[in-house]
Amino acid sequence: MPSPAPHRISADHPAPPCAWAVPSQVVPRTGSPRTLSRRALWGCVPGGIGGWLLLVGSLAFAVPASVRADGPARAAAPADAAAKTDALDARIAAFAAELDVLLNDRLAAEQVTAAPLADDAEFFRRVSLDVAGRVPRVAALREFLADTRPDKRRRAVDELLAGPAYVAHFARVWRGVMIPEADSNPEVRFLLPPFEAWLRRRLLDNVPYDGLVREILEMTVDPRQAANPFQPQVGLNALSYYQAKQLKPENLAASTARMFLGVRIECAQCHDHPFDDWKQEQFWGYAAFFAGLKRDGNADAAMMQINAIEEALGPTQLEIPLQGKTVTPTYFDGSQPSLGFRDSPRRVLANWMVSPENGYFARTLVNRLWGQFFGTGIVHPIDDFTAENPPSHPELLDRLAQMFVESGHDLQLVIRVLTATQAYQRTSQQTDASQTDPRLFSRMAVKGLNPDQIFDSIAQATGFREERGRNVSPLGDPNSLRAEFVQMFENTRDSQTETQTTILQALAMMNGKFVADATSPENSQTLAALIDFPLMTHGERLETLYLAALGRPPEGEERRRLENYVETGGPTGDWKQALGDVFWSLLNSSEFLFNR
Amino acid sequence: MRSGPALSRRDWLRFSACGLLGMSQSGWLPALADEAARGKPAHRACILLWMTGGPSQTDTFDLKPGHANGGPFQPIDTAVPGIQISEHLPGLAQQMQHCAVIRSMSTKEGDHSRATYLLRTGYLPQGPVQYPTVGAAWSRELGSSDAELPNFVSVAPFRFLSPGAFGPGFLGPRYAPLVVGEGQPGGTADYEQSLQVKNLTPPGSVTGAQAEARLDLLTGLEESFLQRHPGVTGASHRAAYLSAVRMMRSTARKAFDLDEESDALRERYGKNQFGQGCLLARRLVERGVPFVEVSLNGVPGGAGGLGWDTHAQNFDGVKSLCEVLDPAWSTLLTDLKDRGLLGSTLVIWMGEFGRTPLINPQQGRDHFPAAWSTVLCGGGIRGGQVVGQTSNDGMTVAARPVAVPDLLATACLALGLDPEKQNLSNVGRPVRLVDPQANPLQEVLASR
Repeated sequence: MPSPAPHRISADHPAPPCAWAVPSQVVPRTGSPRTLSRRALWGCVPGGIGGWLLLVGSLAFAVPASVRADGPARAAAPADAAAKTDALDARIAAFAAELDVLLNDRLAAEQVTAAPLADDAEFFRRVSLDVAGRVPRVAALREFLADTRPDKRRRAVDELLAGPAYVAHFARVWRGVMIPEADSNPEVRFLLPPFEAWLRRRLLDNVPYDGLVREILEMTVDPRQAANPFQPQVGLNALSYYQAKQLKPENLAASTARMFLGVRIECAQCHDHPFDDWKQEQFWGYAAFFAGLKRDGNADAAMMQINAIEEALGPTQLEIPLQGKTVTPTYFDGSQPSLGFRDSPRRVLANWMVSPENGYFARTLVNRLWGQFFGTGIVHPIDDFTAENPPSHPELLDRLAQMFVESGHDLQLVIRVLTATQAYQRTSQQTDASQTDPRLFSRMAVKGLNPDQIFDSIAQATGFREERGRNVSPLGDPNSLRAEFVQMFENTRDSQTETQTTILQALAMMNGKFVADATSPENSQTLAALIDFPLMTHGERLETLYLAALGRPPEGEERRRLENYVETGGPTGDWKQALGDVFWSLLNSSEFLFNR
Repeated sequence: MRSGPALSRRDWLRFSACGLLGMSQSGWLPALADEAARGKPAHRACILLWMTGGPSQTDTFDLKPGHANGGPFQPIDTAVPGIQISEHLPGLAQQMQHCAVIRSMSTKEGDHSRATYLLRTGYLPQGPVQYPTVGAAWSRELGSSDAELPNFVSVAPFRFLSPGAFGPGFLGPRYAPLVVGEGQPGGTADYEQSLQVKNLTPPGSVTGAQAEARLDLLTGLEESFLQRHPGVTGASHRAAYLSAVRMMRSTARKAFDLDEESDALRERYGKNQFGQGCLLARRLVERGVPFVEVSLNGVPGGAGGLGWDTHAQNFDGVKSLCEVLDPAWSTLLTDLKDRGLLGSTLVIWMGEFGRTPLINPQQGRDHFPAAWSTVLCGGGIRGGQVVGQTSNDGMTVAARPVAVPDLLATACLALGLDPEKQNLSNVGRPVRLVDPQANPLQEVLASR
C-alpha cells in the first residue's frame, strides 16, 4: 500500500450526513427537462441561431436581467423546497469560504499576496469555458454584465450546470479520462459516439459518481441480446469502455486504478514499481478481479467485435505472463475478499472501491475536478497519488472529499463549491511578484483548452453551425471539421497549464480555411451580421467582436487604436476588410485560445 | 513542501527564453531582418532513424547462423571485409565503411514506454523531472535561435507509447519539434499527403499588406496579454507563431517540396512514408536544420502490428520492414555523401530495445533489452567496425557492454557537443545533456 495511505473519511465533523443532499426536484432547470434531455442526449444544441436578424439580435441586444423571471422550475417549486435550495446555497457559500481560509492561511504563511477577484467579464468567460466548454454568447454575456443581483455569479453557475452544453462538455471530459486511447488510435474513435451518448444521459441526470463507477465496473451485456439483429444494443451503456480495453484484465486494472483511485500501477505490470512499493504481484492481484471476464474467441478480436460482456462468477485467478505464477483477487493493501460461488469479483471490487472506507476514491475525484477548474491539482499530476507526490493542501483535499461523500457523490455540487471559492474567482493577471507558484493558487492559472473547447469556442464566436447528419456523429466522421480540429489540437489534452502551441496549430489558425472563412466579410456569419446591421457604429461593431471572441470590451488605448484602424480601413482601405483583420487577430490571440 | 523558489526560477528561465524573441516592442519584421544579418557557421547535423517497437538484432545486425536462435535469415558480406549483416540489408551492406555497428547494447528496460523514454532522453522517467528528447536538447545546442526553419523536425513520430519521450520536456515549447506526418501503427499508404506542411501560405483573398497588418494587430494583443499573464502557455503561443511566420516567409520552406527531386532519386529512397521521410531529412539538413528524426512505424499491409514489435510472425515482419529500411537508409548515406554532407551529418539507427533470440511459438520474438544492436554512421564516426559481441546464442553480451548514456555521449561527441553541458531542469536542478556516468565509445569516434 503506498503511503501516505489516505485515512478513512470519518464523520468527525458535526455536519449531519444528509446536509449536502440536494432535493432533486428543485435543482434549477432553465428549460423543460424532457425537451432538454432529448436534445442533449443526441448532441449538443448549436449555440448560434440562423438568420442575420436573429443573429444580430443576439449579438447586440439582450433582455435586461430585471425583466427575466427566475427559472420556471424554481418559481413553480413548493415553498419548502425553495427554502431547502436556499439553505443549500448558503451551505455551499459557507463551505467555499472555509476552503478559502485554508488557502489564504497558506498564502499568508508563504508571504504570497493573493490577486484580487476577477471582474464580471473575466469570471463569466472563465466559468462558461470550464462548465459549458465554450465561450459565452454575446447576448448572455451582456445580460450577465447588466445583472445587478449580488449572487449573480452563483446563479450563472447554476444556469450553466442546467444547460445542455455542460452535459456535452463533461461527457467529452470524462470520455478523455476514461478512454484516452481515442486520442491516438483512430480505431478507438469509432467507439466514442455511443459512449458519449451514455455519459451525456448520466450527466444529465446527475447520477451520483459512485453509481456511475459501479455501472462501469459491474456491467454485463448478454450475448443473446447482443446477437439480436433487431435490437443489437441494449440501451445506453459503457460497452465501449470494455471494447477500448480489449476486455483484458491488465488494461482494465491499469485504467480503473488510475482514474478511480489515482494510482498509476501500470508500471508494475512488467516490473516492480520503482518509486513506490508496488510489486508486480500486486498489480496482477488487482487485475485478477477482472479475470472472470469471458474472452473466448475474443482474445484477438477487433474491438468493435467485442459485443458481449459475460463474467464467470465465483473465485477467479490470473496467471502472471511469462512467470507461470497465478494470483487471486487482492486489494492494494494485500487483503483478499472471500468470494462466494455466486459473487461477481467485479461487483466485490466495486463495493470496496466506492465505500467510504476506501479513502482514495473520493479524493481522486475531487482532486480531478479541482485540477480541471484550477489547472493544477491539489495532488499533481492529478492521478498520481504517491508518497513522493504529496498534496499541496492536505486538509483542503480531505475536507472536499468528505463533503463529496456526505453529499452522496454529487458531481455538480463539487463544481458549485469550487466555482464559489474566492480562489477560483481571482483574476489570472499577475498583480504581485510573489504570485509565481501555481500550487498556491494566488491567482487563477491561464489554462489551455482541450480540442473540443477550442472548436466549440471558435464555432460560437464565428457563428459556425456544425453540419450534423441524422445518424452520424461528427466524431464518427473523420472528415468533419470538428474531427480535423480535434486531431490538430490533440496535444492540448496533456496538461492544462503547460499547453504548448505547435507550429502546425499556428499555421492552421493563421492560414487555414476555417478561420479564413470566419474572418472574410463574404463568408463569415458574425461579420456579415455586423456589417449588414445598419444602426451600429464602428465602435459598437468592434466591441461586439471583442465580446464574441475575448468576452470583454476593448480597453482605452486598444479601443482607440482599433477604431482608427477600422475607420481608415487598414491596408485595403475597406472598413469591412479591416473588421475582418481585427477579428482574425482576436481569433489568433492567446487571450482567445486560452482560458484566462 | 515548499517549491516556490524552484518554480519561480523555472518560470524565469522559460519566460526569459521567450522574451528573447517574444517581448521586443518592435514586432515581427525587425526580428526577421536581424536573422538575415547573422551569418551561420558551418553546422553539424543529426538524423535519427527511430525504429518504433524495437527491432530484432538477430535478424538485422547480429546474426547467429547455425544456432537455433538464428532463424531463417542468412548473413551476407559487406563492403568491409569480416563484417556480415542480414541478407535483407543488401544496400546498407555496401555502405558499411561509414557505419559502426554496436552489437553489445545492454539495458534493463523491457517495457515500450520506459525503454522509449530511456533511449530518446538518456534518462529513466523519474518523478517530476521532464527530460527533453535528444532531438530537442541537441538541436538547441546545434541550431541558431533565429533559423528560418525549425531546428528540430520529427517525421511521422508514433508518440502514444511514451508521449513524454518525444517532447522538449523542461526546455520548453521553443524546442518542441515541428511534427510532419503523424505516425500510425502499420505506417500510412498516403505518404505524399502525410509529408506536407499544410497552410504555409495565407489564403488567396488576403493581400500581402493585409497579412502584415494582421500580424501587427496580433502582436499588440500578445504583448499586452503576456505582460499581464506571464507564464509558459502564452510564451509557447508566441514562440510557435514566431516560428510559423518565419517559416512562411522563408524560401527554405521549399525543403518540403519533394517534387523538386528527380523521380529516379525518389524511387531509390522508396516511395513510402519512411523513404520519402529520409529524403525530406536530407533536404532539411541541406538547408541547415540540425536535427531531423524519421520514424519507421510499420509497412502498410505488412505483417505484425506496431512497427518492429514482432511478437508474432517476426520473420515476415522484419523482412518487409527491411525492404523499406534498406533502400531508404543506404540511399540517404550515398545522397548525403554525394552532396558533401555525410562528413558533417551523424546518422543514428536505434529503437527502444532488441528482441529475444529465442523464437516463440508464434514465430515471433519478444522484448529483449539484455543484448541488442544499434548503429552509428556518417559524421564524426569511424565507420567499418563492429563494437562489442554477444554470446553464440545471442542471450548475453560477451564483450564491451554499452549502456544508453555511453551511446548518447558518443553521439554528442561525434556532433561536437559536450555531453556534460548542463541545463536547468523544471525542478531547479541542473541536468546534463547525457548522464555523467557515461563512458563514450572512443574507438567509434573519428579523429579530428
